[in-house]
Amino acid sequence: MPPRDDTPPAPDPLLEIRGLTVRYGGVVANDDVDLTVGRGEVVGLIGPNGAGKTSLVDAVTGFTPSDGEVRLDGRRLDRLPPHRRRRAGLARTWQAGELFADLTVADNVAVATQRRGWRGFVADILGRSARTGPDASLEMLGLGDDVGRLPDQLSLGRQRLVGVARALAGDSRVVLLDEPAAGLDTDESEAFGQIVRVMATHGHGVLLIDHDMNLVLSVCDRVYVLDFGRVIACGTPDEIRSDAAVVAAYLGEEPVS
Amino acid sequence: MSALELKGVTAGYGHAAAVRDLDLAVSAGEVVALLGPNGAGKTTVLRTAVGLLAPSAGEVRAFGRPLPRKVEKNSREGVILVPDSRAIFHQLTVRENLSLARRHRARDLDAVLDRLPRLAPLVERRVGLLSGGEQQMLALAKALLARPRVLLVDELSLGLAPLAVQELLPIVRTLADESWVAVVLVEQHVDLALSVADRAVVLHHGRVALSGSAADLRADREAVRQAYFGGHAPEDALV
Amino acid sequence: MDQLVLFVTLGFGVGSVYAVIASSLVAVHAATGVLNFAQGSIALWGVWVAAELGTTGTLVLPLGSVALVDGPAPALLAVVVGVLSSAVVALLTHLLVMRPLRSAPVLSQVVASVGVMLLVVSLVPLRFDTTGAVASPILPSGTVELLGAQVAVADLIVLALALVMAAVLAAYFRFTRWGTATRASAEDETALRLTGWSPDRLAALVWFATGALTGLVAIVASPSIGLDPISYTFYVLPGLAAALVARLRSILLAAAAGLAIGVFQSLLLMMSTYDFWPIWAQAGFGDTLPFLLVMVALFVFGKAIPERGGVQSARMPPVRPPRTRPVLALVVVASTFAAVLLTEGGWRFGVVTSVIMMLIALSLVLLTGYLGQISLAAMAFAGTGGFLLSRVTTEWGVPFPLSLVIPALAATVLGVVVGIPALRIRGAHLAVVTLAGALAIQTFVFGNPAFTPFEGNQIQDPSLFGMSLAVRNGTVLTTTSFAVMVLVVVGLLTWATARLMRGRTGRAFLAIRSNERAAASVGIDVAGTKLLGFAFSAFLAGVGGCLIGYSRSQLSVESFTVFVGLTLLCTVYVAGITSLAGAVVAGLLAPLGVLATFLEGTLGVGHLYSLIAALALVITAVLNPVGITGSVRHASEHLIDRRNARATS
Repeated sequence: MPPRDDTPPAPDPLLEIRGLTVRYGGVVANDDVDLTVGRGEVVGLIGPNGAGKTSLVDAVTGFTPSDGEVRLDGRRLDRLPPHRRRRAGLARTWQAGELFADLTVADNVAVATQRRGWRGFVADILGRSARTGPDASLEMLGLGDDVGRLPDQLSLGRQRLVGVARALAGDSRVVLLDEPAAGLDTDESEAFGQIVRVMATHGHGVLLIDHDMNLVLSVCDRVYVLDFGRVIACGTPDEIRSDAAVVAAYLGEEPVS
Repeated sequence: MSALELKGVTAGYGHAAAVRDLDLAVSAGEVVALLGPNGAGKTTVLRTAVGLLAPSAGEVRAFGRPLPRKVEKNSREGVILVPDSRAIFHQLTVRENLSLARRHRARDLDAVLDRLPRLAPLVERRVGLLSGGEQQMLALAKALLARPRVLLVDELSLGLAPLAVQELLPIVRTLADESWVAVVLVEQHVDLALSVADRAVVLHHGRVALSGSAADLRADREAVRQAYFGGHAPEDALV
Repeated sequence: MDQLVLFVTLGFGVGSVYAVIASSLVAVHAATGVLNFAQGSIALWGVWVAAELGTTGTLVLPLGSVALVDGPAPALLAVVVGVLSSAVVALLTHLLVMRPLRSAPVLSQVVASVGVMLLVVSLVPLRFDTTGAVASPILPSGTVELLGAQVAVADLIVLALALVMAAVLAAYFRFTRWGTATRASAEDETALRLTGWSPDRLAALVWFATGALTGLVAIVASPSIGLDPISYTFYVLPGLAAALVARLRSILLAAAAGLAIGVFQSLLLMMSTYDFWPIWAQAGFGDTLPFLLVMVALFVFGKAIPERGGVQSARMPPVRPPRTRPVLALVVVASTFAAVLLTEGGWRFGVVTSVIMMLIALSLVLLTGYLGQISLAAMAFAGTGGFLLSRVTTEWGVPFPLSLVIPALAATVLGVVVGIPALRIRGAHLAVVTLAGALAIQTFVFGNPAFTPFEGNQIQDPSLFGMSLAVRNGTVLTTTSFAVMVLVVVGLLTWATARLMRGRTGRAFLAIRSNERAAASVGIDVAGTKLLGFAFSAFLAGVGGCLIGYSRSQLSVESFTVFVGLTLLCTVYVAGITSLAGAVVAGLLAPLGVLATFLEGTLGVGHLYSLIAALALVITAVLNPVGITGSVRHASEHLIDRRNARATS
């Protein structure tokens, strides 16, 4: 196993994860994971099935109890409930999409940015209409023509994009994308890679979790590899391609020591 | 006649076709390894083959007849799936799990425990308390008790230490050799899978990217690597 | 001491029925994942079949009847046929209602089983001679001395019977292969299918068997409990409480808890005979017990109570937020106003009641249709409003508009209290909490003589700027000024609610309804938004209750019973629980509304009203979950599509 000390730090760390550990019953799903995502950086997270990728995302966004530190731009988030972490700027997508089936595409995104709770309630009754123009993230992802449609009227690829737009909208700063390309064909997957790069140029930090090695290795600045819940490698795509431990984890060979 | 035959099968969930226009035939006594990166459609093939998922195009036949519509009927006739969730019941004891699976006499149970001696001392224990390897062993024991004629195994090695896998895979081989069972093995541990299989098929994005005898694929590792990491295998590598 | 023993044993009869119902609920839940609200009704039907046989020798069926023997049937025959009837009702419930709904949303399953519950309870007074039949004693009538008390042998036998039943049921699940398979189906139905078993057949067996057991214990206990056309139906609540205490896992624990509730209620009865016992706690206190128990059980166990895995749950019926359609709104208001002017007497009263009921229906649309929280307590919130209206107008002399606001705010507080469990639980468990809460409020608050003045809950007629808005004026049953007042109040609140529905709040509600995790992940405060929904929904219902109070001049508890509440839920669901239009139609169909007036006054079949409502609910739940307004919209969208297609071709 390569030493972890040579892990290059993010140039301008925005999301910092230190010593994150997740236990389900007696099973350790994530073991002492350190990970950083910088401003304008696309970071990949790969690993075989059951390596603990989704459990890491769940823990960082507050959907699974965990130990360890999560900081966004220096601010501790690890004791906050999920919706507070989102409001602080840490957004995520879901593997199954999980769009709001009864809301139009525009509303799926608007619900993430609107005034909330009592203030929204009062504004609804007394104030002006809540109908505003569609969020800029929809235009950026090329969903401008779909704003009035319902999610189940869209192709799977476009549904995934709506999920990404929902995570990008408002004041989010770091976006965790959990298998956004699953079920996309090769062309769609490539187009999606372009979009991820655009997100980074807008200043978002992106953590991309995906099975599609092509996608991850072609768009990411840095890649982390998980196996059995631990980080077994971290580096540039080229370093990862030639890392013996990674190949072993995927193809089941014995690692060359 | 093939024990299991998929003809031009397209299947998936909702809008997405996870498997497109797939042909696959497995004969009795043959072990076929189904390989490919995650999301390639391997699990979808198995779910379609056992009737959990209806193909949107094409046909599945078992022993020359179209698949019955009810999964439970299918499995009573010997088409057995061991899914990656293992289809075992965590709230029940090992004995209770096995008793649900047996088709015939209670005596069968002893025969299976002979084959999996590590399970014998655990029969009264609740499955939730077993280790991953022991649970996988139980899943396999359950499948054996059902007297399979077609056995579909999904990710036997998932989450297991290599040693445990090396203990379980040979059992599958023996089943094909001695009991003339047709086996489809979905596996991410490529080398282990190729070591027990007669034939292998590599899927990528729901289509066959590479297929050939296990021996050929073992010899041409670069083609396998390409099929995994490169997406498309070179045309001449297709067998 | 001897009195203590006596009252403990007096609780055995009812406690045994609770115990078997609780065990059956656990068993049915294990086999199908359904909480069967109709389990008490299944007992009710069997009890009446047996009683009728024992009295007249006639076997009564839902339609028609068969004379089995001349004169009273022998006890054994009556019991056997009664037990079989219960079992058949249970099996039919499974085959015709719950099985088709096995992958339907929890809301459909809950309303369908509530529909069956209401169907049976509406059918019993229509089919049986509820004044003539008696439950003839089946068990020996003697007493034995136990710890100094004379205890009825029958009660001890019933207790033994119930314990044996629970033990048999538990043994089936524990020791037989079929029972083991049924337990396995609770964990993962797909895995069980892969193992070669049919979960449906196992479930049918459990429904039939638990129906028979529930029928048997109720029939045998009925001579000591007494015959009653309703009460057995609501025995499902202590049963549910006991089942939840047992975490829906242990049949024996559920039985023990059920028995304990029965005994404890009997002891409360004993306490109420003592001088030190406060007057307010004399009536209805026993009925608050299941509610308190459910609250505690759910709070302590919370998420440890299993919800069924493995079956993919379908979506709730779709929602289309209301659009701004001022013309349509004006037409509806104007035609309602015209209906008020053109009618008089009972019809005008029906129209006004429909308008008020629409408001309460709207509170259900908002909470259940939009937010996805199943509440069976809307009528209890309304009743709280009406109950306090009587206080604030007669005792405090609060003037009209304020007299609506204060009780409605009190209902709002109550709504939040009932909503707090919704932060930890959802679906069918929440329905249990709200139903138990509604029954507790009904018997402990509305039905409690200690809270009601001798002359009844009088309500001061409303007036504004010296103008009387009283509902009656001399011989005029419903004055125009009262009708206008109702129209204005309901119109304003509907307008505000429509703005909420299509605004930020509605979006957040729908987001939570379709996916709580995803809602939290986009920054919605799920807990706070749910409480907001409960609060506003209870506010609407509270105002509705006040208006009902004003329309009666005196609060009648009968307007706010759990039974009325469940019937209202039927009509809202049938009309379409996911839309504003559904609330309007539900108002027309609601108890005492226009449809009820039509059935009663014109057709003379008012006694069939609740039967029709329940039947329509069951059919709607199984065949057409979008309700009347939903199908109208589908049909019109279909027409428009066809016209467009023709235009382009």
